[in-house]
Amino acid sequence: MNATFTLLEMRRITRDWAGMFFTAVLPAFFYLIFGATVDAKDATIGNGNVAMYVMISMAAYGAVTATTSIGGNAAVERQQGWGRQLGLTPLADSSYIAMKALIAMTVAAVPILLTFALGAATGARGSARAWVLSAALCLVGSAVFAVYGLLVGTAFRSEAAVGAASGTMVIFAFLGNVFIPLSGALLAFAKFTPLYGYAALARYPLTEGYLPDGSQDPLWLPIVNVLAWLAIFGTAAVFLVRRGRERQ
Amino acid sequence: MTTTPRPVDGASGAPAIELRSLVKSFPARRGSQDAEVRAVDGIDLRIEPGEVVAFLGPNGAGKTTTLDMVLGLTEPTSGTAKVFGRRPREAVVGGQVSAVLQTGGLLRDLTVRETVRMIASTYAVHSPVDEVIDRAGLRSLADRRVSKCSGGEQQRLRFALALLPDPRLLVLDEPTAGMDVTARRDFWDTMHADASAGRTVVFATHYLEEADAFADRIVLVAGGRIVADGTTAEIRSQASGRTVSATLPPGSVAESVARLRTVDGVHQVEERGSRVLVTAGDSDAVARLLLLELGGTDLEIVTAGLEQAFMTLTGDGRDTHDTGGARATRDATTHDEELVR
Repeated sequence: MNATFTLLEMRRITRDWAGMFFTAVLPAFFYLIFGATVDAKDATIGNGNVAMYVMISMAAYGAVTATTSIGGNAAVERQQGWGRQLGLTPLADSSYIAMKALIAMTVAAVPILLTFALGAATGARGSARAWVLSAALCLVGSAVFAVYGLLVGTAFRSEAAVGAASGTMVIFAFLGNVFIPLSGALLAFAKFTPLYGYAALARYPLTEGYLPDGSQDPLWLPIVNVLAWLAIFGTAAVFLVRRGRERQ
Repeated sequence: MTTTPRPVDGASGAPAIELRSLVKSFPARRGSQDAEVRAVDGIDLRIEPGEVVAFLGPNGAGKTTTLDMVLGLTEPTSGTAKVFGRRPREAVVGGQVSAVLQTGGLLRDLTVRETVRMIASTYAVHSPVDEVIDRAGLRSLADRRVSKCSGGEQQRLRFALALLPDPRLLVLDEPTAGMDVTARRDFWDTMHADASAGRTVVFATHYLEEADAFADRIVLVAGGRIVADGTTAEIRSQASGRTVSATLPPGSVAESVARLRTVDGVHQVEERGSRVLVTAGDSDAVARLLLLELGGTDLEIVTAGLEQAFMTLTGDGRDTHDTGGARATRDATTHDEELVR
């Protein structure tokens, strides 16, 4: 890990105030609308309430939006020739990806902290263990989607890649039982989609696997989902990053 | 600030660059009849430490693809590329080779100094950041955003980045493409000041005057192959020597042309009405023959310029500054047409 490189990148990315505003504030706003102000917010789920459930979901959504966008921007930079410039240095692909993932997670911490702070102020309830573990799982799991952003951006090779990657997050959030509670066949399908495992794992310390429809997931299910998608994204990203080094 | 020559290490006996039967093909674009495009079509080349070599050729000749393989940015389809006897990527990691790329991107929202610091941080050992900024003439621009720098200034920044590992081999791919005349002169002045200290320099260009002015050796590339290799003077003579032309008496042209074709060292004889154009190595002998034996008048002798040599050898009669990216043709018919023109 290269501290100078990472800090310079961090400074550069956080200079974009407009982008930071949307990454950090939009999920918090979603929480206020879908969590803090709904009638069912005090209904019990797991060891807490629905407001907490929605809060964790939105924090997770905000975190992956941040990491996907940073990953996508990394791909655009490479497409503009920065990848060739870096290809002339000793920097290894794995170090580059690791640094970008670290930066993405640091930025992802912002919407998590903001949404959790709002939740604490507006009646989200859960065990102390659930608060701490959920925040940590939101953060750690979001790294998977930094790799996803890099993958999508590298595949599309254009500025639109960033928008496309963020856009797919909304779709995955609906498909992944993040925005609205799913049931029946759609829920069965959801368990195979990328955001399902991550969001379910982040909520697990609160829900202990229980879903809004009353069913329960075993712990291994979200873990296997996350690891499988990490393997898929990681393998594809390394392949595409290598290909991206060659001139088009 | 002077460059300290690197200590001689174990690999110093190896050539700076050694290419063997190097081939790179890309899949053809959709709709094309060809199965693949051979950007580099069998290049053998050896460049010794300390040489300053120009890779000269029209756009699409395969220069950039060849240099990409030298830098480990692209894997050859077949053949090998070695840099100081090592695999290119190892030489890059070891800081023995660096480059200024034609399409090397910079991050627009970093400042000049931040960019240099960032790239410097990837090397275990590197020249001091401020020293490199000074050597590239960027001190007054150090805190400027890259997006606010002109094309020439950005190119000097890429040059600064290339100086960071204090490389033994510096590769420059079309370093002055898109610069105006003043910026090009400034860039080469900076290069001369810095890179003359025993560094091996290989640069690709399609500007003949740059190759002529800066290189000791010119490698002429067309259609993915080396078509000539030597000093500027050698390239000139290898291409076409001199062209002798004269007007011959009516009726004797066909006979004289046949005779001229038998003379040693005559490359080519053309008829244009009663005038003949003879391209030959020994122009004096041809002139003597034309004037004394064949009754020629209005004799002219023209030395082939480097530009003419370039066009003859690459078979490319188009404007050499063309930026269309078209491939040099190796089609024999076209080749002859270009010569007639």
